[in-house]
Amino acid sequence: MDNQKLLTSEEEKRVKYKTINGQGFKKLIEAGFTWLKTNQQSVNSLNVFPVPDGDTGTNMVLTLQSAYNEINGSAEENIGEVAHRIAHGALMGARGNSGVILSQIFRGFARALDHFDVMDVNLFAQALDQARETAYKGVVRPVEGTILTVMKDIATIALQSSASSEDFLSLLEIIVKEADESVKRTPELLPILKQAGVVDSGGKGLFFIFEGFLKYMKDESLETPLFTVQPLSIMQLESLNDNDLIEEGQDYEVVVDFQPYESFVLEKFFEELNELGTSIQVGEGDGLYRTHIHVPLENRYKPIDLAMKFGTITKVAMENLNAQMETMNKSPAASSSFKLAQVQPGEIAVVVVSPGDGISQIFASLGAAAIVPGGQTMNPSTEEILAAFANLPTDNIIILPNNKNIILAAESTKAMTSKRVSVIPCTSVPQGLSAILRLVPNGDYQSVVNSMIAARQDVETGEITTATRSVQINGVDVKQGEIIVLYNGTLIKSCTSLEEACLSLLEHADTDNKERITLFYGKDLNESEISRIVSAIQEKYPNHELEVHNGGQPHYQFIIAIE
Amino acid sequence: MDNDNLLGNIYISNRAIATIAYQSVVESYGVVGLAPKNFAKSITEVLVKDPTRGVDVHFDGKAVHIDLFVIIEYGTRIKTVATTLAETVKYKLETLIGIPVAEVNVHVRGLRISNID
Repeated sequence: MDNQKLLTSEEEKRVKYKTINGQGFKKLIEAGFTWLKTNQQSVNSLNVFPVPDGDTGTNMVLTLQSAYNEINGSAEENIGEVAHRIAHGALMGARGNSGVILSQIFRGFARALDHFDVMDVNLFAQALDQARETAYKGVVRPVEGTILTVMKDIATIALQSSASSEDFLSLLEIIVKEADESVKRTPELLPILKQAGVVDSGGKGLFFIFEGFLKYMKDESLETPLFTVQPLSIMQLESLNDNDLIEEGQDYEVVVDFQPYESFVLEKFFEELNELGTSIQVGEGDGLYRTHIHVPLENRYKPIDLAMKFGTITKVAMENLNAQMETMNKSPAASSSFKLAQVQPGEIAVVVVSPGDGISQIFASLGAAAIVPGGQTMNPSTEEILAAFANLPTDNIIILPNNKNIILAAESTKAMTSKRVSVIPCTSVPQGLSAILRLVPNGDYQSVVNSMIAARQDVETGEITTATRSVQINGVDVKQGEIIVLYNGTLIKSCTSLEEACLSLLEHADTDNKERITLFYGKDLNESEISRIVSAIQEKYPNHELEVHNGGQPHYQFIIAIE
Repeated sequence: MDNDNLLGNIYISNRAIATIAYQSVVESYGVVGLAPKNFAKSITEVLVKDPTRGVDVHFDGKAVHIDLFVIIEYGTRIKTVATTLAETVKYKLETLIGIPVAEVNVHVRGLRISNID
């Protein structure tokens, strides 16, 4: 045969990846970063505490982002140099526990590559082992069943297999397979994971980074997750597409619930769904599958037919997206039109972090000079908070973070500005509102700050949200999808209905001895639900002053202030 | 401090609280040791391995105040390590004992250099 000497594309890749230099490593890191980012939400969803808060996935992505920024645009060929810059970037940008561990992994990895121009598979394996060693040194009593264990398993298999692997592609195939299995073993090592029914989030994140390396070498797409299955509780039957991009030609949203037959194979179902439309999401829970898809007009009944092939259909919802687009386009201004207070030089400006449009409006009407969107799932960065007040014409700044996870970012702005900044450590929206009521724009700065700090104590905060998974905490048994009640930040009860949740919160908060109840309802509630709950509260507390506001916050059906 | 239950009181000593805090400190990433608060104490503690070494607990009648004296691994982002440590200790104490934790102060007493970059 003439073409016997020509290499197949597979063989070409194997030859191409016998050694890797600085530029090659840059590409790998970019791929690992991109793939982790694509799967960020699925890592976040592995959180053990049942409140939807952005955590491990986001922290690891931000750490890796900072690492990649150090080498992005660099033409450095020397691998040792590139690895050190990555380690430096990861160190500077380390966020959260998983971020710190990740930065130690890169640090150890870089140390092994000192003075090397290029790396082959053997050096790679040694560097991974050095990464493992450095990572383990950072803690007195390493907890197994975490990202540390996954790193250890990766290093072990790399050392074992590097001698028999000729190129990176074949070694990474082995590593990624082992990493996957290592992640699956984490619940056996760490009881809290098993109790919550999840694998370790940090370990899963590390797996995605290595899988990203492998996918890059195989020229596979890094932008679209293979598929993810969400807990059913976070997929609503209707209006899933609030934030979705609606693509041209995808006219209908179809949501089908079905009970799968015994023979059901998820991958196969996905494959066939993929041929029908876009924006595919699948949720699972209680023996039920819920599938969501956008399809063109002519395909509008096909998802239903398809689901019938795989199981027994229990419910179908369909929506014309074009009609919905029109209403969305009509009212964009209404949602975010609020007037911020204009401060004069020398006056006190209040900067507020707000989780929803409605809440922003209320703060604005009470004299906020700047609003930073952010809350439980998306913590604003120090830079974002700083940018909100950097251009205000006054040097007297007070920040209301309204969430405990944001207080630190707010505090950090102090070091980055010459303005006088105080952060009122309010951990909830009601505390923030109670504080801003003490604002005297032209008053004495320190006494306003003091009175705001004291004002936090005037109010009790209740939060009502949906548990994203089953778990036991504080002796409260929470089932996935149930409504949970947090009182001043502590989980106190799990209920089956919103009504029950609100009433038990008020009972717990000793409302009989309070005067006023303020409800901020979230963006996912409809009017009939709200009015039902409001009348239930009115009936039980007829002598209390009851205020109801549209808070517009995500995830939390209600934020309740009791004072 | 005490908590009421239906039958009587539950008393939890500062030492018990310190032990829980100590356990979460040694499992916290980036912290490689605890340091005694002062020199005199360090001599007595060499003799007895104390499960509360480097942890100070103070109860003000309403909530608990914790001071941690720690050694951190050189080459980690100290601020992140300290923040995570404070959050973990607060979370553990509040979930295990159910008492409010008003503050967790982290005193970084030194860095351990395992490797120089």
